[in-house]
Amino acid sequence: METAAIETQGLTRRFGALTAVEDVTLRVAPGQFFGFLGPNGAGKSTTIKMLTGLLEPTAGRMEILGRPFGAAALELKRQIGVVPEGMALQGRLTASEYLKFVGRMYGLDAEVTRQRTQELLEFMKLADERRKMVTDFSHGMQKKLALAAAVIHGPKILFLDEPFEGVDAVAAGMLKTMLQGMIQRGATIFLTTHVLEIVERLCSHVAIIAQGRIVANGSIEELRAGVASGLPGEESGKRLTLEQIFLSIVGAGEEEQAQELSWLS
Amino acid sequence: MAELTARQPAPGGAPNGSAGGAAEALASAGGWLSPLARAQYDALARMRWQVFLSGLKAIRGITELGARGVQLFVFSLMGIGLGIGLSVASYQIASKSQWAFLPVVFWGVAFLWQTVPIGLASFQDQFDMSSLLRFPVSFGTFYVLYVVFGLLDVSTVLGGLCCTGILIGTGLARPELIGWLLAGLAAFAVCNVLLARAVLAWLDRWLSQRRTREIVSALFLVGLVGLQLLNPGLRQQRRRHTRTAAQVETDRRHAAEWRQGLVVVNRAQAWMPPGLLAGGTAEENERKPLTALGALAGMGLWVVAVGGVLGVRLRAEYRGENLGYAPRRRKAEKAEKAAREWGIGGNGPLTALIEKELRTLTRSMPQLYALAVPVVMVFVIGTIFRNTAGAGRHVFTLAVPVCVAYGLLGFTRVIYNNLGMEGAGIQMLFLSPTPIRTVLLGKNLFHAALYLLMGAASGALAVWRVGWPSLAVTLATAAWVVLAVPVNLTVGNVLSLVMPYKVNPGRLTRQPGSQANALLGMGCQATLLGIGGAVFGLCFFFGRQWLAAPLLLVLAAVATVVYLRFLRNSDTMANAHREDLLEVLGKVG
Repeated sequence: METAAIETQGLTRRFGALTAVEDVTLRVAPGQFFGFLGPNGAGKSTTIKMLTGLLEPTAGRMEILGRPFGAAALELKRQIGVVPEGMALQGRLTASEYLKFVGRMYGLDAEVTRQRTQELLEFMKLADERRKMVTDFSHGMQKKLALAAAVIHGPKILFLDEPFEGVDAVAAGMLKTMLQGMIQRGATIFLTTHVLEIVERLCSHVAIIAQGRIVANGSIEELRAGVASGLPGEESGKRLTLEQIFLSIVGAGEEEQAQELSWLS
Repeated sequence: MAELTARQPAPGGAPNGSAGGAAEALASAGGWLSPLARAQYDALARMRWQVFLSGLKAIRGITELGARGVQLFVFSLMGIGLGIGLSVASYQIASKSQWAFLPVVFWGVAFLWQTVPIGLASFQDQFDMSSLLRFPVSFGTFYVLYVVFGLLDVSTVLGGLCCTGILIGTGLARPELIGWLLAGLAAFAVCNVLLARAVLAWLDRWLSQRRTREIVSALFLVGLVGLQLLNPGLRQQRRRHTRTAAQVETDRRHAAEWRQGLVVVNRAQAWMPPGLLAGGTAEENERKPLTALGALAGMGLWVVAVGGVLGVRLRAEYRGENLGYAPRRRKAEKAEKAAREWGIGGNGPLTALIEKELRTLTRSMPQLYALAVPVVMVFVIGTIFRNTAGAGRHVFTLAVPVCVAYGLLGFTRVIYNNLGMEGAGIQMLFLSPTPIRTVLLGKNLFHAALYLLMGAASGALAVWRVGWPSLAVTLATAAWVVLAVPVNLTVGNVLSLVMPYKVNPGRLTRQPGSQANALLGMGCQATLLGIGGAVFGLCFFFGRQWLAAPLLLVLAAVATVVYLRFLRNSDTMANAHREDLLEVLGKVG
């Protein structure tokens, strides 16, 4: 059996009495574009933090590229790139300075870092803002920079926590092309986003987490078939969108949708 | 089906059933005592209380509370000591009717009240008011909250205890003045509280822009030079025995001019709050209530004026000005021009970290200012040492070491919270394959270099003012600095990992802080000074001055070994505190 890019077994994280993630078992094959979906507060970011070594699991096991995080943490960190929840930027540096800093922190040669910085800034259309402080960037520009920083060392696995949030349509299209290119070259991408159309278009496999537990896991076609089989008669023949699948699985049915805030004009 | 149809009135009585309701709520936000404002005070008080209680569920919160308690206790003791001293002084003044000395007492209290907040600005945990701007908070409410939040700070405690001491002392001597003193001291206290807040608010504003920053620096230097102008008269008095009759005459003429100047200064100070309070007290004692009331009215005018100055600043913040992080457009353009490509070269994370530290610090003027002010103060202290020594006499033997130690005080904040300026960027440090010990080493190397540089600068300034000390003292001073580096870095690394707090590099004041970090940092500084003092003292006492430097170097070697051991274990410690670090430094706002 091929070594999984990401594999977890019973991954659990508790914060005092609160169980944020419970018994999460996942397997992401190398080269897979994996969508990790869930409503707000479901445990997506907590899972990503555990998978990238930012958070210690309370229980369970996880392996990245067939190796457990722990003794091999530093080696594994060289293989992964992350766009974390808070983007992790340095406000008082320029984009170019920040990318060079990140490249060197990942152990890249100064010349390679310089070259990749230039290419990434041009690709992300940030080259004209070379001397602007990161703190003066718009949210979308900061997202692009965070993504550039996540890929500068050429990671084998890319963890993306809401990378399309606040990014304009042109930039989003560009990012999608870049991510697809990475997949074609054999990288693995673990993506969380609320933009389900993007997941539907890009991801081959999806897991849905709700209230800290995995409630669905498989290819989009498998999920579609699973949900459709539970629908009555003629409904089961329809081709469901990922949004319909998602809403059906996480339980946000018509009752909740119909809820009305009657005091809103 | 659940339907949300709640139509209870919103705080402030405005109905929340329509958009019109929201508009009414906004309209009623005008007054600082309106129902909505009162509901907002209540909500904020509850929120702060809940945050406090939640904090107590974690060790960090309990430690902070303990540190705050210790800090309050220590400063209260200081305040009580000062209060007793001032009580005795004011009793003497009042019982002997030496009212001319009373302004000196009030000026002392005012000076303390205004300088303590600036000195401790870096250590006090202050609520950032900008987070309130998204709510329909009126300007009046915003103003009141700005004044009320953090009211129980060190300066208010010290100032309050000093005023109480004066009240008791004067009241015991002249019980009939208690009523007047209560009113006068209350106005004096309000004026000082508002002035301290105004100074801090404006200082942040001035330090955020190049031109005003230069003006502040120039005024600071002019003040220093001004102090120097006081010196000739004093020095000439001491050199009297070497003077000719003509010179003595010149001295006498200068002294007369000085006295004339002092009369003018005295007249001017009589119109300021300490002078008005002292003058009013003397007038009340002489049964001139109308004149005393006039003084009280004058103080009231000062309260209004100082409150207005604070209001001008707060109004700008209320309108959304943010000096905190993002520079304004023109400033940003200048920063872009300044951000020319440069680097210190080399491969690997160590040089990358040093380069980043250098860039971040040089682009954070308030932080640079906080570092530089103690060095500039060395000039003043050195001058004081020089002037307190008479002609032909040696200055205080340890003047240079004292100056050097003082000049390095500005480092406390930078070293003891060395991850504070990372903000959300701390995540990247944990995500990268660079071990945290390398990150700390990079920061430590940069800070050590800066520390030695500033130690040398302080030493050079001190030598310029007081002259070279003996070779033994010079070597011992250098050895003490060498000892201070590993000790500070070790304690700094531990505190940075265990008690971090986020630093906004664009601000000098109104930052979140850690009382425990500040307290332990001060403790470390005091210990270092104590060790230095003890070694110096013992060696001098036994007439073996030359032994001080080798002894301090031996201690420095031990401290370096301890530093290296801590550094080796810093990854384990960082991992143990990783979640806390990410939460505290990575939080928004």
